[in-house]
Amino acid sequence: MTELVKRQLDLLRSREYRNARVDVKRDVAYAVPEQLSPIMQSADRFCAALAEQEPLFHGEDLFGFNRYTKELCTPMPVGAHFGNLTVDYPTVLAGGLGGILRSIDEKYATADEIAREFYDSVRTCFAACERNVNAYREAAKVRGNDRLAKALEQVPMKGARDYYEALITVRFMHYILRINRTMHIGLGRVDQYMKPYFDASVKNGVTEIELLELTELFFIAMNLDTDLYEGVQQGDNGQSMVLGGIDKEGRDMFRALSEVCLAASQELCLIDPKINLRVNRNTPLSLYERGTQLTKQGLGFPQYCNDDVIIPAMLAWGYDEEDAYNYSIAACWEVLPSYNGADYPNVVTMNFPLVAERAIYRALPEAKNFSALQSAFVEELGAEFAVLQKEKGRYAPAALLSAFIRPCIERGRDIFAGGAKYYNYGVHGAGIANAADALYAVKRAVFEEKSVAAQEILDAMRADFVGHEALRAKLLAYPKMGCNEDAVDEVGCFIMDAFCCCLKGKRNNRGGIYRPGTGSAMEYLWSAARVGALPDGKRAQQPYPSSFSPSLTARTDGPLSAIQSFTKFDMKRIANGGPFTMEIHDTVFRNEEGERKVAMLVKSFIDLGGHQMQLNAVNRERLLDAQKHPENYPNLIVRVWGWSGYFNELDVNFQNHIISRCEFTV
Amino acid sequence: MTGRVFSIEEFSTFDGPGIRTTVFFKGCPLKCVWCHNPEGQSGGVEYMRSPNGCTGCGACLAAGAKRTGMPCLCEESVVACPNGLVRRVGIDYTPEELAKKLTKNARILQGSGGGITLSGGEPLMHADFICACAPLLGELSVALQTCGYADGEIFARVLEVCDFVLYDLKLADSAAHRKYCGVGNERILQNYRALAKSGKKFVTRIPLIPTVTDTEENLEALAQFISSCGVDYVEVLPYNKLTGSKYRSLRRRYEPNFDEARENNLGYEIFRRYGITAKKM
Repeated sequence: MTELVKRQLDLLRSREYRNARVDVKRDVAYAVPEQLSPIMQSADRFCAALAEQEPLFHGEDLFGFNRYTKELCTPMPVGAHFGNLTVDYPTVLAGGLGGILRSIDEKYATADEIAREFYDSVRTCFAACERNVNAYREAAKVRGNDRLAKALEQVPMKGARDYYEALITVRFMHYILRINRTMHIGLGRVDQYMKPYFDASVKNGVTEIELLELTELFFIAMNLDTDLYEGVQQGDNGQSMVLGGIDKEGRDMFRALSEVCLAASQELCLIDPKINLRVNRNTPLSLYERGTQLTKQGLGFPQYCNDDVIIPAMLAWGYDEEDAYNYSIAACWEVLPSYNGADYPNVVTMNFPLVAERAIYRALPEAKNFSALQSAFVEELGAEFAVLQKEKGRYAPAALLSAFIRPCIERGRDIFAGGAKYYNYGVHGAGIANAADALYAVKRAVFEEKSVAAQEILDAMRADFVGHEALRAKLLAYPKMGCNEDAVDEVGCFIMDAFCCCLKGKRNNRGGIYRPGTGSAMEYLWSAARVGALPDGKRAQQPYPSSFSPSLTARTDGPLSAIQSFTKFDMKRIANGGPFTMEIHDTVFRNEEGERKVAMLVKSFIDLGGHQMQLNAVNRERLLDAQKHPENYPNLIVRVWGWSGYFNELDVNFQNHIISRCEFTV
Repeated sequence: MTGRVFSIEEFSTFDGPGIRTTVFFKGCPLKCVWCHNPEGQSGGVEYMRSPNGCTGCGACLAAGAKRTGMPCLCEESVVACPNGLVRRVGIDYTPEELAKKLTKNARILQGSGGGITLSGGEPLMHADFICACAPLLGELSVALQTCGYADGEIFARVLEVCDFVLYDLKLADSAAHRKYCGVGNERILQNYRALAKSGKKFVTRIPLIPTVTDTEENLEALAQFISSCGVDYVEVLPYNKLTGSKYRSLRRRYEPNFDEARENNLGYEIFRRYGITAKKM
């Protein structure tokens, strides 16, 4: 990395730059102008917040557009949480905000009343944007930052002409959308929509080193204000980018710019932007090896997304071919159309262990066989979904956001009022493994072995296994999802099939469909807190695994068995998002051979039809927690040297030894 | 016929090429002071108790006392432990059962150019079993990880069904070998010579035990022997202080009779003098 990048990285890591932010200036609290229509109100709120933002540069900032005030003067309006989407970067890059204004001018004369009001609100927003850009340009001049000042004469009001101007445009869009309180805006397919500008810079003679430097400075800029924009947790800010992927002809779109992004991320080791790598069965091992080099850094990404699963899933859900091939990833792993969707991919979460718990309590006392329990499960699933369906999604008129979602401008309607092309909802699925393991344990103990009475299971559940330790040990010893045992994996498939069938044909309140998924997000804690002990041996309130992974109490035979358990279902049917998650000790990565084998493992998962995968090089905090709560980490594998062992099986002094080695990993 | 296995480890990354599953057979003719898999030494079934999460309730030992009159770990202890910390070490498989379990992952193993590694304990103690099981593994490549201590005829038979060998050499002097590993090394050296002549692909591995195997004299003698067999590449495995970690779980004590803390001598220079490239693993 260049000296300039080093200096900016040091500045970022010091965090002292944050002291330059100021308190909100206005004395009188912002009041929503009630006389205005909702869409004009949204524009007014944005303009009020943006008006407070004076130019602020951090160090040798090449981009600007940093938050000036510590807080925003405007309140969070109802519905403003709406996010988790990818906005229309290509249109803004090509024509700037001015291009959008020209489209409005062309349509205005023939537009209806609603459209005119929408267009007026966008014009108001963009006028405020232009004032802010002008202020930045003047300030850049004063600072002697001629490069930025010159670029700001062009972008973002006009279209970008090279890579630098394109990066400024994207940075600007994120800055204003955040001031608009729009959360979790993904970066989308950066390597695709940036290509013309990247190529232009290459043609202009910009060197490889300069291109990497620009990318790294852009990445650093994307981290400057993340402390102001947390989601459920700090870092949960939705700044994910998507690299690679196949086009309609099956060509791999991983290109020079994709590689530059990976290189920048690897050198910087920052949490943003988070990288999603689109792969498919023809992806060469070398790309997985490249990804593994990032995993090795302890970053927790790239996350791998399988085009062979997601594209057919998008097509089956009714997305146009072009949009299916052009899919992006939202904040975490939810799949989305790029630029034109108002999808709500995490509207609600199906709490599978809760459904299983209800079914067992209701049906087990009388059940003659396992099918009776299965029927009860399907019924409870339907009942729970009927409750979840009442969640309407948090839409609100949003002038600025709508300007960046196709075809809102063309239709003259904002995102709230039908301007977007898609309005599908995604339903997360938390605790699939626990639910499958629990139903299987009942099936085996009560109906197959007939070694445990139904009442004994129910008593043990009610007592949270207190006084039923021997039964719990027996249940814990049964195979679980992740052991590659068909008997239990079939129950997992039954649950997923029931989920898909339950959602199929249901319409949401915006006319879209419901897409089933395997994600848990924070619900592996929150939903888990609502569920008591289950027959898989899970105790009351015990957390679920992260998304689509073996339960925390399951002891699997290892990663090969685990990936097979989680690739048995036809994942195209349940592809809303939710990765198979695996922790690998960083000593596995100690030489090229280990790296190559991790890459082979990921490739195997994708080739088997896996949906998404994320890997963690195990970190110290986790190991410390495992010392305190070993029961939650039976699967935690540590690479000791040439062999792996279960962390729990090592003496504490040896655990401490490994922990001390982890102190130097990120 | 059955083979007794103490562990099957998927995704063992340093036991041969590609993605591999390693089968650890129970029972070993050697008793190396530094053995890091003590549960592999005895051919009998044993029980291990993970120390972490153990509340000291004594339910496991009480279950053993009920059966034998002495506080110990036994089959009943597995169920008795409320936290599931006791497990049986030593599961008997028929060749068919083991092959079935291993070939469940065949697609992944083969796709990566990997396969199965037979380790232990000492797999050569299960020669008949291996000769019956290996042909059932289909196209999967089979690697043998061995100390080489076996009758020459047995070694030759097992070699026949394997594609690749990871061969350990520890001490060149037989008396020292007897002192630290419990047996002399004559058969080991003899089988090594046979292996070198066999044309079978193999890698020589030398565990570096401070002041025991990593001395100038021993490495020099090993290098001389290795080069006399026409071999020009070895892998050296530095000593790891986690070696003794499993003993407590077996209610045994790890008692190294050497200085664990001493820095390893990697011996690169010695090997170079004999035209051997040494690589640290």
